[in-house]
Amino acid sequence: MNLLVVGLSHKTAPIEVREQMALPEDALREALTGLVSRPGIAEALIFSTCNRVEFTVRAEPESDAVAEIYSFLANDCRRPMEKFERYFYRHTQREAIGHLFRVASSLDSMVVGEPQILGQVKDAYAAAKAAGALGGPLEEIVNRAFHVAKRVRNETGIGQMAVSVSYVAVELARKIFGTLSGHTVLIIGSGKMSELAARHLRRSGAPAVFVANRTYEKGVEMAARFEGRAVPFEQMFDLLPLVDIVISSTGAPGFVITRERAQALIGARKNRPMFFIDIAVPRDIDPEINKIDNMFLYDIDDLQQVADANKRQREREAERAEAIVQAEVERMMERLKAHDVAPTIVSLQAELDRIRRSEIERHRGRLGPLTPEQEQAIEALTRGIINKIAHTPISHLKTLASHPDGLHFIGVVKRVFNLKE
Amino acid sequence: MGESSVFWLRVTLGLYSLGLAHALLTVIRRRQRGFSPALASFCVAAVFHLVSIVEEGLAIGSFPILNIYQSSSLIGLLITILFLIAYWRYKYESLAIFIFPIVFVLTLIASLGHPVQPWQNPVLRSSWLAVHVVLALLGYAALFLTCAASVMYLIQERELKSKKPRAFYYRLPPLGTLDELTYKTMAVGFVLITLGLVAGSLQWSRQWLVDEKVLLAFVTWGVYLAMIFTRWTIGWRGRKAAYFAIVGFCCAALTWMVNGGVHSFVKR
Repeated sequence: MNLLVVGLSHKTAPIEVREQMALPEDALREALTGLVSRPGIAEALIFSTCNRVEFTVRAEPESDAVAEIYSFLANDCRRPMEKFERYFYRHTQREAIGHLFRVASSLDSMVVGEPQILGQVKDAYAAAKAAGALGGPLEEIVNRAFHVAKRVRNETGIGQMAVSVSYVAVELARKIFGTLSGHTVLIIGSGKMSELAARHLRRSGAPAVFVANRTYEKGVEMAARFEGRAVPFEQMFDLLPLVDIVISSTGAPGFVITRERAQALIGARKNRPMFFIDIAVPRDIDPEINKIDNMFLYDIDDLQQVADANKRQREREAERAEAIVQAEVERMMERLKAHDVAPTIVSLQAELDRIRRSEIERHRGRLGPLTPEQEQAIEALTRGIINKIAHTPISHLKTLASHPDGLHFIGVVKRVFNLKE
Repeated sequence: MGESSVFWLRVTLGLYSLGLAHALLTVIRRRQRGFSPALASFCVAAVFHLVSIVEEGLAIGSFPILNIYQSSSLIGLLITILFLIAYWRYKYESLAIFIFPIVFVLTLIASLGHPVQPWQNPVLRSSWLAVHVVLALLGYAALFLTCAASVMYLIQERELKSKKPRAFYYRLPPLGTLDELTYKTMAVGFVLITLGLVAGSLQWSRQWLVDEKVLLAFVTWGVYLAMIFTRWTIGWRGRKAAYFAIVGFCCAALTWMVNGGVHSFVKR
């Protein structure tokens, strides 16, 4: 079997190249049928996202699949290949399988562990399936890639840690409160990042988000964007005992929430924990508040620090994921080896020929002296018989080899003709 | 102790047990329900309690604080009266979580001055003993979980306060979950050790007072009662409460370990 991955990704090509190489979604089907109709290309999968453009094919033996793909890109897709060829990487056989597994498991992503990639692989698979470009070992490999991605996700913590500052805020809120349902949010001031964090919190189950802005209208406008509620700035302090998460990003020169004010909240809140997120510079919330029991304060640097630690943690988890991928590649190779029909065909032919020879040997004496023509006739006769017998099984082996059921058929043939490995 | 005085004291104990049941249910369900009937039974109990003490005083011809039974009975009544006054004045219902069990246990101790006699039957005795031991051990198991959750809470809290996440930050459950677990296991554990205490008191003997295991058991019970009460009223939780829960479990463990797991008056 001849497996090949040709492509470019964020690791090898700049965005200017990737955007010119990308295939639009509606052109994908046509491209897939075009690719498999090329000589020597049996199966194909095209993967085109903003971060990578990849062609995975199963080629017939002794065909130049790389050249076919390049010419397909240059002629059918009208991409300037002479300029872009140097950005392409190639993986064959074992490396190709490993690459596919790593991509699906999000180990090759820009942000390692990001979850979207698996969905994108599934879309590519669906497109290839719909275009009839799959149906053999490559399909089996892609299906296996989904399984590997699932294993990596379940058995390592690769996708669990937030790596963007606004997600880190949500993750910390979860670490503090357990669940976000029932925990309300107050945003003081405005800003892109606080809005983003509020959106994440809202989506993660926070039931209500209040917005307090010095300019009330601005608050109303911002609140409308995530079903929040604007409150007048003066009422903010009355609200503090009722909310659990406070995100502050005002332009105020001094502290908006002082330690004394936070201390006064404890009794009213019956010691319920509170999470302050200060993304303003200069800071809005007195850093001393973090020393109060059941109160947690993170400023922008703290959030960044957690994000960095999470990134390192993801990398550690990625090492464990690599081990899983390697083991899965080995297993896949074993399975594919069984798929390979060539050895079966060879030993089938050898076995039949052995029988033919030994039978001639056995009966030759009884035939008496023969002319060379007669000798040739016997040879042709016996060969003809075994070739006729072997024809159907061999042609079935060849066609079924690329079919998922082929494995079973190979086993049957081996058993029927009593073939050794 | 006079005959009728003992009778009235037992009636009182029966009525107080409604208060105890109310307190335990409140702790477990986290919602105060059926407070009015418990309060009513408490008011009636206070009257019988007073009757019992007066009769006791008349029978012995002096103020009945001569022994631990009489004095705990009196303290129980005083607490009840103070509570009723405080409630009438401030309507502070959650205080009942603390007061009802305390008064019940004090009255229980008082009533043990004259233990009920039918416990001579060895089969009945041993089955009650089994109930007592099983309840106490289940209670300790629950309180062990409280302690474990508290330790995890302290570690996770440190991680969150330090803002430098290390391995524990990723592995341990969130603070909120641990806090919830602490409270739930503590509530269940408290109910179990209370019932275990009551089951144990049914085979009362005078040797109890000198048994360190009994005394420690009461101390442990008091520590947990205080913890649950502060949690219920001012929502006391977090770092200090976690330390307190660990101390409470040390008390419980000590209670269990003292004298090799059995009471000093148990013949081996």
